[in-house]
Amino acid sequence: MEERNLDKAIDILTRLLNGEEVGRNSANVSLYEEYSTNAQVYDLVNRMLSRMNVKLYEYNYSLYITAGDNNQVFGFTNADLRKELGLKVNRELYLCYFIIYQIITCFYTDSSGYNFNEYVKIEDIMEAVDYSLKHIIDNLEILTNNETEENSFKTLALMWSDLPAATEESIRAVKNSKAGYIKLVLNFMISQKLMAQSEERYYLKDRARALIENYFEESKGRLYEIIQGKEKEDATY
Amino acid sequence: MTEEYIMMQDIIQEHKERIQNIKKYYPYFKLADNSLLQWKEGKYACLDMGYITMAVLRFFIDENNLKDKDVTYEEYESFIHTILVRDFLLMISEEEEKELCAYLFDKLLNEGKPFSFDYFDPKDHQKKSIRMKLIESRIVDSILFYRITSDAIEFYLDTKEIKEESSISVEQLLLSKLIDTQNFKGGIEVVKRINREVTKLKLRRNEVLAVLSADIFEGKKVYEAYVNDITKWFDEEQRLFKKNSELIEKALEKAELDKKGKENARFFAMMDEIYTLELEIKKAMYKHSELLSLCTSLQLQVDEIVKKSKLSTLRNSFDFFHAMNKMMENDNVEAMESLILPLFQLNIKKQFSLAQTENLISMKGEDQEETEKVSAGEEVAYVYEDELEDQRISNNFDLIVGILLEKLMVEESFSLGQFNEELTEKFGEKVLKNADYYTFLVHMCQKDLYSVKEIREKPDTFFEEIIHEILQKENEYDGISFRLIRKGEETIKITEMLEISDIQFEKVKE
Repeated sequence: MEERNLDKAIDILTRLLNGEEVGRNSANVSLYEEYSTNAQVYDLVNRMLSRMNVKLYEYNYSLYITAGDNNQVFGFTNADLRKELGLKVNRELYLCYFIIYQIITCFYTDSSGYNFNEYVKIEDIMEAVDYSLKHIIDNLEILTNNETEENSFKTLALMWSDLPAATEESIRAVKNSKAGYIKLVLNFMISQKLMAQSEERYYLKDRARALIENYFEESKGRLYEIIQGKEKEDATY
Repeated sequence: MTEEYIMMQDIIQEHKERIQNIKKYYPYFKLADNSLLQWKEGKYACLDMGYITMAVLRFFIDENNLKDKDVTYEEYESFIHTILVRDFLLMISEEEEKELCAYLFDKLLNEGKPFSFDYFDPKDHQKKSIRMKLIESRIVDSILFYRITSDAIEFYLDTKEIKEESSISVEQLLLSKLIDTQNFKGGIEVVKRINREVTKLKLRRNEVLAVLSADIFEGKKVYEAYVNDITKWFDEEQRLFKKNSELIEKALEKAELDKKGKENARFFAMMDEIYTLELEIKKAMYKHSELLSLCTSLQLQVDEIVKKSKLSTLRNSFDFFHAMNKMMENDNVEAMESLILPLFQLNIKKQFSLAQTENLISMKGEDQEETEKVSAGEEVAYVYEDELEDQRISNNFDLIVGILLEKLMVEESFSLGQFNEELTEKFGEKVLKNADYYTFLVHMCQKDLYSVKEIREKPDTFFEEIIHEILQKENEYDGISFRLIRKGEETIKITEMLEISDIQFEKVKE
């Protein structure tokens, strides 16, 4: 192994871990060229990342990494995210997860390709969440009081239906209205380089597309097992 | 027995249904019940919240359902203003009125939450809660709009209209009323609105297609609901159109009969209005037939989309809608963690916990004193402090005496000053300030003559003991004897403060 290749591979790794972009249209274009043309560098980077339990995806001539779920070192915990988003309890966080999921569905029906929707607005997302929770909200009328558990879709629906659409003319990222919650989530997604904002329109960035199209595609078997309610620990990794 | 059974059935099985029907009245009584008595020390107790509720609901029906537009807060405010001034003769400042309007609106919206009350469901043996909103809000292009809910419309119509007419179409009800009262102009407006409604249904067809292209299963449901709606619509419309056409004919006949008693100009104006109304109704019928043909073409498109989707399901990929449905079915909220967390960047910012940071800043002591940890081991010996002192003195004496003997090996005679120079060269200036050096001098001056041979055989003084110890290790000093010649008057100045008498060291031949 050439020392120069090892140096390059470590360089790529450090930049990726630091959240820098490595791609054809980034400042690190030479490193990307090295990765895509030098087999040894390619191999080294992939080997090192896989040892760290970090996944690497190439999308539109750029490299993106993810810690996946359950990564104790590089991943976020619920507590970390609550702190980042300024939330107190897990059910608020799950509502945010739900909103993020609905944002994904505004662009993707399945992981095989997006539905040519260029951007979303806050009202589109609100409609999507309303629509998804509609059948639960309708049944809330006959909901038993003591039936609401801490972590259930009913709890989310109850929280959502109790929120006003918006409290002020200008939407602020606070959790006192539906629009406020969505704005909170969108701001976080922008900080995570998943989305970009132009006036009132929100666009999905390549990083999000790379992860949605690759991560979900690659891990679908395991994810389905988790969705079916099998214990996380039992899911085949 | 049978009668009792039927009675129990009525009580238990149908209770839920009855409560569902009662629910629409609940917000009215909640609002009407003393809403304004407590506020501002009863300043606005003269206002009837029940009346205001009914008026606002009618206003919303008019705006939302008849004019087909959403209501902004400003529109609501100006409506309330007219009510307050006209009906309650309330004269208050603009600011007070704004505050009152906002308070009333908050009450009507129940501060954004649904009106809810608890009831006991005897069938499930459980306490349940029932919820209803009068007005709901939504955002379109960043502007907040309000709409009356279907429950609230049902409540409003239930107070009078529905009892008179069994139809649910508000538009048609209004049309019948207008024709009855010979208000043909209003009738034309209503038919125009019906036409708009049909256009809306035509547009809804595109929405159905959009849902179908996104989610085939959900789309199929929406499509079926749409077809159902249209069939129901046609059914009702046909009956009502027939009724309205009859009414128009009757109106025409009546107009002909009244012709003689009225002025010509007024008669013709009325006839004109009736014909325009008839024309609008014909237009509406044409639009309906158009809608029907669109429905048929939609059927073909749906078949095509379903066929395509069947083919694409053979491709294996992660279906977001299917996954969401599964999660909801299993009520597995936690699964979302696995779906969403991987999207985020690496979490490389590691932080101290708040509690730890606070400890660092405030340097708080431990709540409990920590016990000293003693490592297990066996005691071999004790070393006391004076022993350590002795050890130090003996080490220093060894060094100084060693140098003295060395010097005596080389030189026949030298003064204490020279000896001191030798010492400072080896150990630095500090050696002359060392207490052990002076102790050494005192011990040394106890005798005038020292012989190594004698010391080896029998050490006499403490000083000789030290030399004896050195001699145990070294043999090269054998045969050395030296004498000390004290020079009483001659002194050596060591520091500003310190002076000592000089001594001459002289080697003696044995």
